[in-house]
This record gives sequence, structure tokens and C-alpha cells, in this order.
Amino acid sequence: MSEYDAIVIGAGHNGLCCAAYLQRAGLSTAVIERRHEEGGGINTEEPVLAGYRFNMHANYMEFFDIIPMIPDFDLYGIGLRSFKPENQAGIVFSDGRPPIVLHRKDLLDKTHVSISRYSKADADTWVELQNRTMDFGELLAIGIYNLPDASHVEAQGVLLEAMFSDMGVGAHYATKSPKMVIDEVFESPEMRTLLYRASVEFGAPLDQLGSGAQVLLSLQWMIGNLRGASGGTHSLAKAMTQACYAEGVDLIENRMVEKIIVEDGRAVGVIARGEEIRARKVVASNADVRQTLIDLVGEENLSPLWAKRAKDFRYGPSAVLATPVFCLREAPDYKSARWDADINKTFYTVVGYDQPEDVARYVRDAHSGRIPEPAAGTWINSLWDPSQAPPGRHSASGWYFFPKASYYTPEQWAEIRATYNDRFIARWGEFAPNMTRDNVIADRLYTPDEQEVKNLMWEGDCLVGEMTPDQSGANRPFPEGSSHRMEIQGLYLCGPSSYPGGGAHAAPGYQTAKVILDDLGIPAPIPEGRAY
Amino acid sequence: MPDIYTSDWYEAVREAINARVGTLKSVPDGAFVVKIEIVGDGASPYVAAGDERHFLINIEQGACAWYREVDGDEEGIRLDYRFRGSATVFDEVAAGLSDPIDAALHGTVKVRGDMRFLMRQAELVKVLLEAYASGVETVWPQGQPPYIAASAINA
Amino acid sequence: MRDSFDAVIIGAGHNGLTLGAYLARSGLDVVVLERRHEEGGGLCTEEVTRSGFLHNMHANYHTFVDLAPPVRDLDVRGHGIEYIRPEVQMASVFDDGTAITIHTDLEKTKASLARFSEEDAETFGRLHAEAHGFIDLLLGTLMYQPPLSVKELTKALSTFGVQDRSEFLSVKLRTESINQFLDQHFKHPKVKAHLAFHGAVCGYTNDVKGLAIGYPLLVGKIDNWHLCLGGSHRLAHALWRDLAQHGGVMVVDADVTKILVEDGRAVGVRLADGTEIAARKLVASTVSAEQTFLEFLDSSVVGEELSQKVKTKIKHKDWTLFSVHAAMTRLPEYTAAEFDPDVNRAWVVNLGIESLEQLNADWTSIRAGKLVDPRPNAAINSLYDPTDAPEGFYTGLLRQFAPFAPEDGGEAAWSEMGRWYGRKCLEAWRRYAPNLDEGAFLDWAVFTPQDIARKLPNMIRGDWMMGEISLDNMLDQRPLPELGQYRTPVERLYMAGSTQHPHGFITFGPGYNALQVIAEDLGIDAWWQNV
Repeated sequence: MSEYDAIVIGAGHNGLCCAAYLQRAGLSTAVIERRHEEGGGINTEEPVLAGYRFNMHANYMEFFDIIPMIPDFDLYGIGLRSFKPENQAGIVFSDGRPPIVLHRKDLLDKTHVSISRYSKADADTWVELQNRTMDFGELLAIGIYNLPDASHVEAQGVLLEAMFSDMGVGAHYATKSPKMVIDEVFESPEMRTLLYRASVEFGAPLDQLGSGAQVLLSLQWMIGNLRGASGGTHSLAKAMTQACYAEGVDLIENRMVEKIIVEDGRAVGVIARGEEIRARKVVASNADVRQTLIDLVGEENLSPLWAKRAKDFRYGPSAVLATPVFCLREAPDYKSARWDADINKTFYTVVGYDQPEDVARYVRDAHSGRIPEPAAGTWINSLWDPSQAPPGRHSASGWYFFPKASYYTPEQWAEIRATYNDRFIARWGEFAPNMTRDNVIADRLYTPDEQEVKNLMWEGDCLVGEMTPDQSGANRPFPEGSSHRMEIQGLYLCGPSSYPGGGAHAAPGYQTAKVILDDLGIPAPIPEGRAY
Repeated sequence: MPDIYTSDWYEAVREAINARVGTLKSVPDGAFVVKIEIVGDGASPYVAAGDERHFLINIEQGACAWYREVDGDEEGIRLDYRFRGSATVFDEVAAGLSDPIDAALHGTVKVRGDMRFLMRQAELVKVLLEAYASGVETVWPQGQPPYIAASAINA
Repeated sequence: MRDSFDAVIIGAGHNGLTLGAYLARSGLDVVVLERRHEEGGGLCTEEVTRSGFLHNMHANYHTFVDLAPPVRDLDVRGHGIEYIRPEVQMASVFDDGTAITIHTDLEKTKASLARFSEEDAETFGRLHAEAHGFIDLLLGTLMYQPPLSVKELTKALSTFGVQDRSEFLSVKLRTESINQFLDQHFKHPKVKAHLAFHGAVCGYTNDVKGLAIGYPLLVGKIDNWHLCLGGSHRLAHALWRDLAQHGGVMVVDADVTKILVEDGRAVGVRLADGTEIAARKLVASTVSAEQTFLEFLDSSVVGEELSQKVKTKIKHKDWTLFSVHAAMTRLPEYTAAEFDPDVNRAWVVNLGIESLEQLNADWTSIRAGKLVDPRPNAAINSLYDPTDAPEGFYTGLLRQFAPFAPEDGGEAAWSEMGRWYGRKCLEAWRRYAPNLDEGAFLDWAVFTPQDIARKLPNMIRGDWMMGEISLDNMLDQRPLPELGQYRTPVERLYMAGSTQHPHGFITFGPGYNALQVIAEDLGIDAWWQNV
């Protein structure tokens, strides 16, 4: 069939989400995917040795409890499975000092004990913040699954004031950087070190002014709610795909969209692998804004302002990732574990920093194009999900935050791939003596240039567009285009370069489906009375 | 001696079937409906080119209980087998010029249905085919095969 | 996840998905459970070299797609599958620079053979015509029905006097090998070599007595190989889509460890993580008999006798496949192209198997655990599928017949030898296509017999046909007489995978045939019977 009511470009999780709702609402929908499999950044593979499975991009599924598509399409009923580890986040130290472990929200007593080793005040603060943000999920969902407020920094400030003013937090914290907020709220270097890295990990760039509120709002809710997907993150992609199939969506793989066909200012279809596929009503693009508008629509079809905006959209440096994969004989046994064995089984474990300045320097290095000293936020999912490694073995992975892909040539990246993991393993060994070269049966590193090729994440930016205030909220990707509607009639942007940005929450896709249906005057197939 | 494709001829074939079936050591239980589809091929004068003649034949306890010509579809009756071929092939078989097993083996008559059962009942099938092929002395009022320019239509 | 379904199917290979889709269309509540992280089983396409290069890790040739009822019943093409039947199907290139090419155009094939022996060309023409004539009837009889016994089949063929009506089919083929059949009918050693090679790629080993009876049918398919655009796994997606559209569910990362039995009846399964899923009507296993009866069931349920038979009497292939997956910068230019330019357009090329004696000697060595001097076959899907590699590049597959367990070191030895043997295979390729120097390969990865068994544990010892192809392991004897009709000693437990008749390869047969038996037992109206 070469004609549909709706065409979605790209089967990343936002595209799949958008398509499922459109099809359910009655629009015949096709999703056209460049790669040979669906999922985009939701991807699990056995790239090195049979039986060792790795989440190649997204890993922390912190939004599972609020993603609307999960209940709306019964994804748990059709095979999605997850686990919420007790020990959520933690940090170890090379001198064997006690670790800090931040636990799931039903185990805050244990967290208090852990942080208290360094600062009772910090422990009290953390637990208090956790308690106050316990039910934040609904608020967060309302925020990310609806179109953005024009003034979200201000709105965040108002919220901070309302929720935390008695703790010395003011509305102006929303204008600070995460680093400033962490320093002003927590006193112990150990806690700061962990939270510096955690803020980078979870999308609040350390030195970015205007992102300070996230430390107290989103980070507080996420840590304690982190889930792993059983079998790997791609089980979310599989479940979403299956939901799409069940609704009747056509998922067309292995076909790169080369052009969005514009006739009289209207998007009427696409050309994919030389073949025209028509869209009677809408085209939604999960590709990033620059690819969508400049490459696929073409400047000749854009106003000068929109062309400029699309070309000015920036990728990186804050969320540029390199992903190492390690096939391990045994899991790391940290020196710090002698104080608290929980750290040996903590979902997100920060390895490689001994003090806050280490993280600050790491981030500065990466942003200015220097390969940072080895450190990572690591995960070993096989500790909870034995299916991800052969019996008795482990699959370990993590993220290095690296310079943008364009800082180095392919040859230079190849050299980094050949050598950097060894350096990290050596550093890892300083924190866990059993992390020798021998303990690693096989490994590989995937660098930002490879992310560009595999997922078209320019510069290796996994959030597909820097999340600075000028590109966030009602400014994402730019003010004129922040409601997913593009200036071309019938064309929408449904991926992470639109609001609220990257992350495994399917929010852009969900919002875009609602916007499209609203524009078409079709009721959205969502439960009555839900606030999003 | 009946003319081909007349009701007398059909009766004669049926009698031939039932006579032969009586010689078999065993016959399967149950009833089966076979559809014969004869496709006009422009060579046989008995079925016009572009036309088709369809017959339903019921076999019960190995014997032919009833048959009838039908118009197109099976009138809601559940088919067990379908034999479909060009008119020339059917005529040639009736005239003893073509071997029906050859026709089936070589695909000039397409056979569809539970082939396991058919193979297990090979004796019965053979008998039914023989009845058609050589059980009746046929009169050919419009000419007898071989036909000039008989074309093997993809049935 | 829901914990109760009508039908629980173990394994989401093409047979499991096919059976699931039919049952879902029949109104049953179906779940298909897959241990791996991806559906498809042997329909597995991965980027093992570089991004954008799609490598078929197992099934590469889809031969029965124009014949298999599920392709039509499940509207596989409507789910977006496109098949291409390459014009130049196969070729053999020889040391002396000559070549044989097999085309979809029979006259071209005959012309190619005639350059070696006009008589052979004519014989081939007659064999092909006869096989083609028989195909519909006999394949329909044999492949897409639950099996007859060899005795019933030969009796029927005898009653119908098939032998008298055929030049090539005869009862004595039951005792002969493909070698003998070829020796009897063909003259030129290279022609015989190519025809034997074709059989081998289909899993029919030419020196095995009794296989000659299958050979004439195999020839009917010699020019019917289809390529699945976008990679073999697209077919798995299509089947999954059909299943999902009819209300069925497929779950990956679901590792079945036990079949639950109550009062002699299969009532569900248990997964590795302890989850139990109830099966209200049936459980169907598409994995190996060993897994099903020795791992998933208690011996008290299976019985000592059947347990012993499964342990000792299952016949597995005594050779397997070693593969090299290559990301290539250029297409091979064969020396033999001077003799026959079509060689450069052949989908699959046999590199240097020149005589039956040579091939027989290889089998003897391989069975003894030796790695022979490679004479692999090369398939470049990119010749006919422009989407399986980035523009200007090509995806190549080299396959070499190999032992599962090398005599020195067993299968673990592959970890060390894989790269070395891969290099030797590439060198062999270069001898016939000298332009394939180092620069022709961006990257390459090996896939050893050990890798096969690890990736797909239902392929015991790398048995990619899930059971030897031999006369005593066919039809209702496959994999054991007790299991040959898809039913098992456990009520409502069925075997529906490639262990069953007809055999492995992408045939859809086992799943489709198990369906017929299940339908009989459960009183499901067989709406798919296409009469």
C-alpha cells in the first residue's frame, strides 16, 4: 500500500508511540524506518560475544511508571517486564572509603544510614527531598506529556519556592546551574561528587544555568524510581512494536526517507528508497529538526526564518555519549563494599571520581574537546536479570561523556576505541581490585562518531539537541516550532528534538499524536479525565 | 453408448465407478465431495473457450452416491478434493488417449485436497480414475481428441 | 504479563510464529515465547560487521515461498515482504576457469551445461521438466501434510505406477545415494559436482544411502531460490505482525525452563525467572526434542524408554556450517567470468567443488572432525538486494561445510581457530576472484559452529536442519516414531518445529502440519484448507 492517512518517519520509541495512538484513533498509519529494526535509542544487542546482552543507548527506564502508552496499550500484558532495584544509585571511592548508596523510595532508612557516614545534614536533606517529591510522578507527567508552558523556568521557580522554601531553597534556584544547587543544598564532598555525575547522567548539565531546578525536581523523583527492562531496553521497543502491529500499523523497515513531499505548502507524503508514499492527512517526523526541515523538506520550501532556526539548532556537548561494553567473568567487588555490600549490586554505580572537582573537570574536558580521564556511570544489569549474560558471567556497560564527534577524525576515534577501555579498566581496578584485564573476557567501545552513523544522533548527542534554556521548554527546538507543528501544513515534529527533549519517556511522540488529532478534530484515544 | 457429457454418459460413468469399487477389498468410511473443473481451452468443442464446467461428485463408502453439475461455486458444500484441468485433457482421458495418473503427476490436472488420504486410498483413487478413463464407451458427437491446436491452458 | 492463554508456543522461529498466527486467526488466545532477545530463530539478520550491513546469520535462501500455504494464508506479502528470485541462481566455478551457471531460464541453464556435456544438458532438461510436473502434487502430498510412512508412500507410488510413468523416480532410489543417482543419469564430473553441491546446500548429503529418493524433487527447486529483501528476519516480522493483528502475543527474553504437566496433560510452562503461564488448550514446542523431553519435562512424565531414545536415538546432522560475514567494498570478479560472464551475477557461487570424489572425501574428513581445505560457497545478497548494505558497498556471506567438534579440542577449539579458518576461506575465495584482496573487505566476522549452538541451542551441535536428512529420519520417523505425527506422549503437548516433518530450512511445513493435527484434536474448523 502506498498511501496512508498518516506517515511517521522513524521507528524510534517516539515514532512508535505516535503511530500507535494515531492508528487507534482511526488513521491508517505507516512508520518508515531507515534501519533494519525498530527502536532507535531503545536498543539491546549481543555485539561482542553470544549471550552477553547490552543496552546500546538508553538504559535507565525511570519513566516506566508514568509513560501513558504502557497502560493504554497494555504493554505489560504483551510482554514488557521491568524490575525496580532496591539499590538505585551509588558511588565508590578508590581509597576504599564507604560508598554512598541511594535506595528505592521504600528504603529511605537505609539511604539515611549510608549518607550519614559523611553528613547527617545531607542525609536528612536527601530523605526530606525524597519524601516531598514522592508523588511527583503525576506532576512530572502533566509537565512532559502536555505542551510546554511558555515560561517553564519561571514555573519551576514558583514550584521550588512553594515546595522547599523552608529548606532555604528559593525561586531563583531555577536560574542556577545544577552544580550551584548541589553545592548549596549538600555539604559533603562525597554526596556532591555523586550528584554532580548523576545530574550529568540524567540530563541536567552540570554547569548549565537555568537547569538548577532539575536537581530538586526531576532528579529527586528519578532516583528511587529507576527501572531496568527485563531482557534489555529493547523489550520496550518490542512491546511498542507489537502494540503497533496489533492496531494495524504498517512498520516498513530498511527504507531511508529521502524527501518529504511538499505541495502548495502542505506535506503530502514522503519518498523512501526512491518510492513515493502518500500521506492523506499528516506526516510526523521522528528525525531531528535539522534533518527534517533542511534535508527532507528542503530550504526551498521553508521561510528564511525557519531555515535559519533549523540550521542554528545545536547538538551537544552535554549529552554526547560513548558506550563501552564489557563481558565480565565476575562482577566488580569494590573496596568500598566492605562498609556496605549494597554497593556491589547498585543499579547505577559511579566509578572513577574521588572528589567533586574530578567530575567538574571531566565535564569541562569533554565540553572543550579533550578526552576526559576515565570514569563512568556503570551498570551491570545481569545482576538483576541473569538472562543478559551466560550463567555466572556478567554484562557490564555504562556511559563515557565524550567530546562531540566533530572534534576528532574517524581515524582518531578508531584510535580512541582501541585504547580507552584499557585505561578505564585500569582506573576501575583502582576502585575494585578484581577488575583486572583478565576479568574482562571481551570488550568494545562505541564512540560518538558511530552513534552518528547508527542512529543519526548528530555529534553523538543522545538527547538529540542540547538541552539549554534556549532550546528547552517552549523554546524547543525553537520558539516558532515548539508545539510540534511545523510551518509546513500537515507536518509535525514528534521526536526528541522537540519538547520535552530526549529521554525514554515517549513524551514527544505522545504529545504529537494528541496535537495531530486535535488539529484533525478527532478525539484522542486516551482515558477520560487523565490530566495528560 | 452415450454421448459424452450427457446425463446418460454421467450415469454410465457412475455405474462404472460403483461396479469397480465393489471389487475393492476395503473402502474408506465417510463421505467425500470432489469437484471437477473443466476449463474451456479453445480446442475441445465440448467446453467453450473462456467457459468452465463444474461438477460435484459425492463418494460415500467408496461408491458414487450422487453428482451434479454446478454453476461456478460449490453452493456452500464443503469440498474435499478439487481436480481442475483443461477440457482437452479431460476429453483425452475419457477417450483413453491420456493417462489420468500421468495428468495428475505432471500437473496438467491440478489436484488439491488431503493428499495423505488420497495416497492411502490409492487403490480407490485408481479405480475411480479407471472408471472415468475406460469404464464407458463414449460417443463423440462433436469430434474426438486429439484436437488440432489443443493448448495447454494453465488451469 | 498475562499468565493464562489458550495456546502456549515455545520458540518464535518461523514455525512457532506460523502456528501461532493460524491459531490466533482461529480465535485462540495465543502466546509465543522466545528465549532470545529477538524473534525469528533461524530468521536472524544482524549487523555483525558495521552499521548498515545486514547479515543473514542462518537462513539465507527462501525456497518454498511460492508453494507454502502459510505465505498465502497469513498474507505474508501484505505484511510488506518482498521476495526476489535472482535470475542467475547459482554457479560453480572451477580451477580451470570454467563455470556452470543455473538460471531461472531453463534454456540458459541447459546452454551452460551443454558446454560440458550436451547429453547432460538434455538429461537435466528432462529431469527438470519431470520434477516440475511432479512438484505441485508430490510436494503438496509430502511437505504440507502430516506425514505418511515410507511404506505407505512407496505403496501408493507403486499403486499409481509412478515408476513406470517416470524416467527418474524409481523404487530403488530408496537404497541409493545422490551420488549413485547422479552417476546413473549424468556423465560430466563437473555437472555431477554442481548438482551434488546444490543438494548439500539444502542439507541433502550426496553420499548418504537412501537420499536419492528425495533428489528428483530437489532438482525441481534448483532454480526456485528466493531472496527476502531487507534480510531474512523481515519474514519473522511479517509473521509476528500477523500474529499480533489477530490478538496473539509474542514475548522475547522468555526462557522456558519447564513444561507443567498435570495428570498426564500439558497445562502450562514455567520461565527461568519463575513466572508460570497456563495453557488452557495446548502447549507446542518448536525447539529440540532434547530440550523438550530431557529439560522441560520430568523423566517420570516422559517415561524411561522415551527418555533413553531421545538421549541416544535422535539423529543429528554430522556436519554443520562455518560462516564468514563480510562487509565488502567491491563485488568479486571471477576469473571464470571470462568463460561465462553470468558467473559475476550468480547469487550463490560454489568455489571449487569439482567432482563427487572430492566432495565425498571432504565429507569423510569432516565427519572425522577435520577442517578441510576450504571450498566454500559465496552468496552476495547485495547483487539482488540493494538495501542490505550502504550504497557502494556489499554484504557477503561465505559458507564452508565443517565439523561441529574439531578433532583437536572439540567445539571449544573454534574460539581460537575461527579467525584463522575464516582467513583461509577468504583466501579460497580470492583464488577464484583475485580482485578480492584486503582492500575488498571493510570488515569481516566469523560465525562458527560453536556460535550456532550458542545462539540457537535448539540446533544441537550446530544441526541447522534440526535433524539429519536421511531416509530413516524422514516422514513419520522424524525425529522418532513416537513423535513423528506432532503428538507426544503428553496429552496436549505437540512438537511443531523443524525436528518434525518435513525438516529444517524455511519451509513453514512443521508448524503448518502440526496445526492440522492440533485442529483435529481440538475440533478447530480448518478454515485454511484450500481445496
